[in-house]
Amino acid sequence: MKRNSVLIIALALACVMICAGAANAKVYLDVYGTTFKKITIGVPAFKGEKTDKSTSGMSDVLNRDLDLSGFFITAPASLIDKELLDEGIEKSQVKFASWRSIGIDLVCKARVQVVGGELSLEAYVYDTLDGSILLAKRYKANTGEWRRVTHRLADDIIFAATGEKGICSSRILFTAGRRNLKEVYLSDFDGQNVTRLTNYRSITVSPSLSPNGKYLAYTSYKDGRPNLYVTDFSSKSEMFVDRSEGMKIGTAWLNNSTLVYSHTSGRTSTIFAFDVGSRSKRVILQRDGILTSPTVSADGSRLVFVSDMYGTPQIFSKGLPSGEVKRLTYSGRYNSAPSYSPKGDLIVFICNVGSFEVCTMNVDGSNQKVLTNDGAVNDSPQFSSCGRYIIYTSSRGGINKVNVMLFNGENKRTLRFTDFAEEQPRFAP
Amino acid sequence: MKHIVLLLAVMALFIGGCAKKQVQVAPPVTTTGTQQGTLSEEEKRRIAEEELARAERDRLLREQERLARILQDVLFDFDSYAVNSSELPKIEGVASYMKQEGNAKMVVEGHCDERGTVDYNFALGQKRAEAVKSYLVKLGINPGRVRTISYGKELPLETGKSEEAWAKNRRVHFAIDQKG
Repeated sequence: MKRNSVLIIALALACVMICAGAANAKVYLDVYGTTFKKITIGVPAFKGEKTDKSTSGMSDVLNRDLDLSGFFITAPASLIDKELLDEGIEKSQVKFASWRSIGIDLVCKARVQVVGGELSLEAYVYDTLDGSILLAKRYKANTGEWRRVTHRLADDIIFAATGEKGICSSRILFTAGRRNLKEVYLSDFDGQNVTRLTNYRSITVSPSLSPNGKYLAYTSYKDGRPNLYVTDFSSKSEMFVDRSEGMKIGTAWLNNSTLVYSHTSGRTSTIFAFDVGSRSKRVILQRDGILTSPTVSADGSRLVFVSDMYGTPQIFSKGLPSGEVKRLTYSGRYNSAPSYSPKGDLIVFICNVGSFEVCTMNVDGSNQKVLTNDGAVNDSPQFSSCGRYIIYTSSRGGINKVNVMLFNGENKRTLRFTDFAEEQPRFAP
Repeated sequence: MKHIVLLLAVMALFIGGCAKKQVQVAPPVTTTGTQQGTLSEEEKRRIAEEELARAERDRLLREQERLARILQDVLFDFDSYAVNSSELPKIEGVASYMKQEGNAKMVVEGHCDERGTVDYNFALGQKRAEAVKSYLVKLGINPGRVRTISYGKELPLETGKSEEAWAKNRRVHFAIDQKG
């Protein structure tokens, strides 16, 4: 009897410990805490990666993606023993204790094969603590798509480890070019597949895509003055939104068919909502002086914009469709280029603290933080659709380049698309 | 006495003209081939055309220089579209030129320095152009003759990163509206 009860207690204890262990294993990272510890991940070269020229470099791309995500510390190959680099990819072949001993939390093992132009990738991610499988997945694609496959694997690993969607598979819209020759481009996040969307051999600026990706809005000087256009990708047709005198800049989409833009002409500035279907516009707000950079919260309930109604550019918000105008920024003499987080908790903007830096604040204007310290002109900050990343341009280094960082300013990385100066980047839907 | 001088002058001109003609006519006479003769005829025409073109170029250059003296860039303070009183004479000069040239139309371009955000600078450039236009209108110029356009910070005059360069770039530039 006594022996039985001891056994039961021991069993119960073991059960609790296992459950606790499982719970610990599930939550890898509290990504929105004030601080979090990055996961150290080891990605040795994939088996078979080097046998086909087209797939060599897959593990490098994966390492780069995981580093850029801000969740991981990627272990350099030089840190890993050759014995570990050479071991098989099956669970039974992985020496977890050895991986653990060099401080690696997760290890990603993959095998790639190319047969008749088709690529197949088999990937496992193991927790070195207990050898449990975090991810086991097979991918098939054309060989030419090897980068995209790798980005998908990276996003899958990020999702498995954190519950957050990665941005490695996303695309970036931006403008690039020389003086007087600026066009709109679209590129994969990693700088591959750069596509020029306009070819007006003029100045074309402020591109924005409707949420469904059907319409591209931009301002172009191709007819000798800055007119606002929308191109419909499905019908390949272009329409005028506004060609009256003055400066027209479209910056946001209220929904799939309504473009919000500002128009400065004469004494006043006006923020319009233009419906692409009916080609009609209505006034959202009109004031003396400057109104610009209108953007809308993800739920469409609030508008933020920049106005100089108190003498210097400051950020204001307004309830939609009709609501009070509220001033959000009071500190400093230059606050501009606001944009909402899709999660609705933050606004990212540019402030002048001697140089023009990226800042965030709560949507009511509280808790303002300066996130960059580039001593240059940073501009056009935008959140990713998950709200975790901010892209922006920086003129640090003499030429405008697109950068990405976490919402809290950590993990800054420069993205490479073209050899030109690049401006006004946005995550494409 | 006066008449004599005039006569001499006319004669000198005439002789000069004749002499020139003789020189020009001479080659076909002295040379045997007709080809060379036509060549020099062409040459003559070419020289005449070139001279005409040069005169035209000089005229345009002088006109441009004259315009450049009249159409001076109006400069602005950072993040401001208020026209400084020191800049007013430049706009007044443009206004009196436009009054002389009753048909001339003007493009008023607003520009900014590289600091600040792209969108805001586009709006700021527009306001700078509007500020200059409204002063021209105040001076009696028909608003229909003045077209405003903002280039934001797209077309700096100077690419340097100094206060000197920035000051030159914060400007309103005048250009004759060729579209009419």
